[in-house]
Amino acid sequence: MKKILIVDDSKVSRMVIRAHVKAVHPDWEFFEAGSGEEGIKSVIENKPDYCTMDINMPGMLGTDAAEQILQTSPHIRIAIFSANVQDTMQNRATSIGTIFVAKPVTEKSITIVLNYFASE
Amino acid sequence: MNSLTELHLDALSEVFNVGAGRAAASLSDIVGEEVRLSVPSVEIRKSSEIDVSAMGLQSERFGTVHQTFSGSFEAEAILLFTEEHALEIVRDMMGSQISLEDLAEFEQEAMCELGNIILNACLSAMADMLNIPLNCSLPDYTVATTEEIFRRVSDDLDQPYVLLLHIDLAIERRHSEGHLIFLLSSTSLKGLIIQLERFLGAV
Repeated sequence: MKKILIVDDSKVSRMVIRAHVKAVHPDWEFFEAGSGEEGIKSVIENKPDYCTMDINMPGMLGTDAAEQILQTSPHIRIAIFSANVQDTMQNRATSIGTIFVAKPVTEKSITIVLNYFASE
Repeated sequence: MNSLTELHLDALSEVFNVGAGRAAASLSDIVGEEVRLSVPSVEIRKSSEIDVSAMGLQSERFGTVHQTFSGSFEAEAILLFTEEHALEIVRDMMGSQISLEDLAEFEQEAMCELGNIILNACLSAMADMLNIPLNCSLPDYTVATTEEIFRRVSDDLDQPYVLLLHIDLAIERRHSEGHLIFLLSSTSLKGLIIQLERFLGAV
């Protein structure tokens, strides 16, 4: 059984991501965090296999949180899920070893994320 | 009926977050630099309660772009930019070799275009995420004082509700605050709540 951490300051966004992932993987265990800082804490406590990360959140940027997480837990596959679709953000996501997927969260975008998670 | 729950507001914030992200990507393409965005905040107020403190406005004069939305619900959208920064953004759009004086000539057209990009980005995000058709009118641009803006908002008896969206857009060293105001009638607010319920129900 795999564990997934959803980091997003929007509760609705977390609900939507969870529902889409759950539809494909009903047996996965879900964890949620509302900020980058909480996300980092949750990785230490819950040791997830996968993580989806928003960028624009109160506190630290999601990309910075993802970079920190990958420094200590390089095995986690992280998908940056953001509405901030500028090239600089997409390049930053790629440069730290994550993939960038544009919001809104849809079945199509979740498929891209799940394919990335599965491509180990 | 005029009460949006925390979840409704969260859903609206997310819609505008996607909209602002799209707008920032377009703006970034135009000015050739990264545009930094704040986390948007959304609230619903009675238009009679709107004043300077409610809006948290720092400036006395604003460049305002106005458009009307129609579809599953109707709304008037007003986008406010601090006037000085508005001109700087226009200069970024036109190329920095043009002097601020010469820019006045293009201001009207360029600000309409800027407003059009931002408002359409928000509109398209709302239409896509809530899965509803929405149209908008052509933009018009005026420079107005805060007093004129508030008078216009509070005098509109047909549209007693105001949806306030606050977002900061920063282009390199220039910091520009953008405020987006939606004026909604009671019927339109009901319409918006119905669409949000439908969206949340589908999750």
